[in-house]
Amino acid sequence: MVKSMGLETENKEIENNLREIARGLLKEKKVDVIIGYMEGTLPLLSQPIIIDSEEDVEKLIWNNLCYVNLAKYLVPRVPKFVNPEKGNLTVGVISKGCVGRGLIHLASENKINLDEIKIIGIPCNGVVNRQRIEMEIGEKEILEVSVFGDNIIVKGKDFEREFPYDEYMNDLCKTCKIRKPPLVSKSLDLCVGECEEYSNIVDDFSDISEFEALTPEEKWNQITEELSVCTRCYACREACPMCYCNLCFVDQNKPVWFGKTTDLPDVFVYHLIRAMHMAGRCVACGACSLVCPMGIDLNKINRKLEKIVKERFDFTSGLDPDVLPPMVDFKLEDAQEFALEED
Amino acid sequence: MDEKIFAKKDIGKLLEELVPEYKFYAPTKIKGNIAFKEITDVKEIELDYLNSKVPPKDVLFPQKEIIFEYKYEGKDVIIEERKDLEDKILIFGVRPCDAYSFKLLEDFFASGDFQDDIFLKKRENATIIGLGCNTPRQSCFCTSVGGHPFQKESTDVYLSDLGDIFLVEAISDKGKSLVKKLTWLSDAKKADVDKAKDLAKQAEESITTKFNFDLVTKVLDENFEHPVWQEISESCIGCSSCTFLCPTCTCFDVIDENDEYNNRGRRIRIWDTCQSCLYTLETSGHNPRPAKIQRCRNRIMHKFSYYPSNYDCLGCVGCGRCITACPVNNELRLIIDKILEIEEKSGEKVSA
Ligand code: SF4
Ligand code: SF4
Ligand code: SF4
Ligand code: SF4
Ligand code: SF4
Repeated sequence: MVKSMGLETENKEIENNLREIARGLLKEKKVDVIIGYMEGTLPLLSQPIIIDSEEDVEKLIWNNLCYVNLAKYLVPRVPKFVNPEKGNLTVGVISKGCVGRGLIHLASENKINLDEIKIIGIPCNGVVNRQRIEMEIGEKEILEVSVFGDNIIVKGKDFEREFPYDEYMNDLCKTCKIRKPPLVSKSLDLCVGECEEYSNIVDDFSDISEFEALTPEEKWNQITEELSVCTRCYACREACPMCYCNLCFVDQNKPVWFGKTTDLPDVFVYHLIRAMHMAGRCVACGACSLVCPMGIDLNKINRKLEKIVKERFDFTSGLDPDVLPPMVDFKLEDAQEFALEED
Repeated sequence: MDEKIFAKKDIGKLLEELVPEYKFYAPTKIKGNIAFKEITDVKEIELDYLNSKVPPKDVLFPQKEIIFEYKYEGKDVIIEERKDLEDKILIFGVRPCDAYSFKLLEDFFASGDFQDDIFLKKRENATIIGLGCNTPRQSCFCTSVGGHPFQKESTDVYLSDLGDIFLVEAISDKGKSLVKKLTWLSDAKKADVDKAKDLAKQAEESITTKFNFDLVTKVLDENFEHPVWQEISESCIGCSSCTFLCPTCTCFDVIDENDEYNNRGRRIRIWDTCQSCLYTLETSGHNPRPAKIQRCRNRIMHKFSYYPSNYDCLGCVGCGRCITACPVNNELRLIIDKILEIEEKSGEKVSA
């Protein structure tokens, strides 16, 4: 990716624009609250915040550490944006592409009402792969992280290192084709910032061809090694905007459906079934990997799923609230090679 | 001089001598994370680390623990008790905060009418080799919870990292007999002991995060229903990282796993957390902590109010893991600030 200006300038511009829009929306009372990001108290992260007054607009930021998918805060499990007198509030959401996709996809599954939402679209320039940076710095305390020019600059007490942003970006950001939230033609006033109309997403998925070329055994080894440190805290699930079930399959306890230990078969089954539930629903935000306290990378699984869904159903999640996702829909012409033929 | 020293490069010697007698646990790197695992090869030991991702609590109170196994014989159920509880365990390189957490865990597992035999047996058979922190992190606050980056409490043998050598101090009786057995240790010089003292002082001075927890406990006790809990839980996504990585969290769930094809099964316990939607969910479907507001509050109340009233000490050792682990930066320092703000504001009201 060729950048026309340094990342810091690009980010400042995005930030200024989003603040201006946010201020306008609050002033004209077009929204009751806005969800956005604010500066974190530690390096390598940011803090989601919910604001309802114009003076707090200055707290909103954009940098390449805004990795939480804010769509998560709107899933229906815990209705948060309700006022006893006013009823449902109108919520503005600072939306990079995958946040916008998350919201639109949730609407396609009938989980949120887009009439109560304003997508404040921003042209996302990606987020940092924070775990990879942490792993490479290793056992030294990181005190400061900034992006400048084309680099991520990481400082500690007696070290300073630069990482090229293009390489140390979150893997799903590297292949992202939907940097601005999709424009929904039927509700043009849904998007108030920079959104874009997408027709057919073209993706060659070359990033996973190397993985695909492995033998089943090599794939098994790679994935099980990745999952071997999982503590089953479920942070991946809790951060995922598509994991909104009141009771997750893995928590079913009357009776218990799946083993709950950290033995490999149990860990594997959790991730396998969660992956199945993500097919055609994952919006490629990478939040699940970026929040994992153990630094587990689930991106490859997500990319492979995305590819399968694209090839079989020509579907990209989170583009149109009126198109039913493949796992929710049934079409006669769907391939069913697994079913026996009648003779 | 009572203190001993040994060269870091002799760590293999220590391992070799102790492995026949103990299950030797030490920090090692697994997929980029420091963890305490049973070591058989000296090459696995990592001596240059800040602290482990998952606390060494995991050795004595692991994420998954088999309580017992059982088998069916005809109509009878035969319980097979664990046989490994008498094994001697040695945990090398435990940071002072985590060593102190063993005391808190003991308070919990030995309190009241229920003695947790498994934990207590393991604890009894465990020897803790502590290691002082030369470089506390910004998120460390052990000095605010009665600890210190060079605190020796709850360790059996205590090490200070002097660069190429470790200074060795025997703390408990268990530690003294262990050190006596290691005849190859050399005597420390006065300069070594002085250096350790300097390092301890420097480490203490470098700690920047400080709290007045007496006040925190008082404010918490008076503000169970305060709207601040709404604010504190607002951005929390309930991911459990703060509790799963906490060295003092003790919640667990008990599960029976039946292997009917083989006519046997096991009863296990796994970590649970107050951040989970299943926590305290009753059979009727009622949950006294139905939403994040109650769950976030429970974590904070448990550490800083219930522990002081039940055990007369804080339920936190100041390791800072919950600070660095929270993916939405809803970290303890901010939470405590918000809690103390209640007091400041009410103070203003009184004086106004
Ligand atoms: S966040 Fe990481 S450690 Fe937690 S359940 Fe998911 S993969 Fe496992
Ligand atoms: S599975 Fe991961 S990448 Fe996909 S939507 Fe959920 S959090 Fe985002
Ligand atoms: S509450 Fe936080 S700082 Fe205290 S012991 Fe637990 S993880 Fe460490
Ligand atoms: S109640 Fe919560 S904070 Fe307390 S020990 Fe259990 S998980 Fe930890
Ligand atoms: S780590 Fe943060 S987001 Fe996760 S449960 Fe704890 S406070 Fe909530």
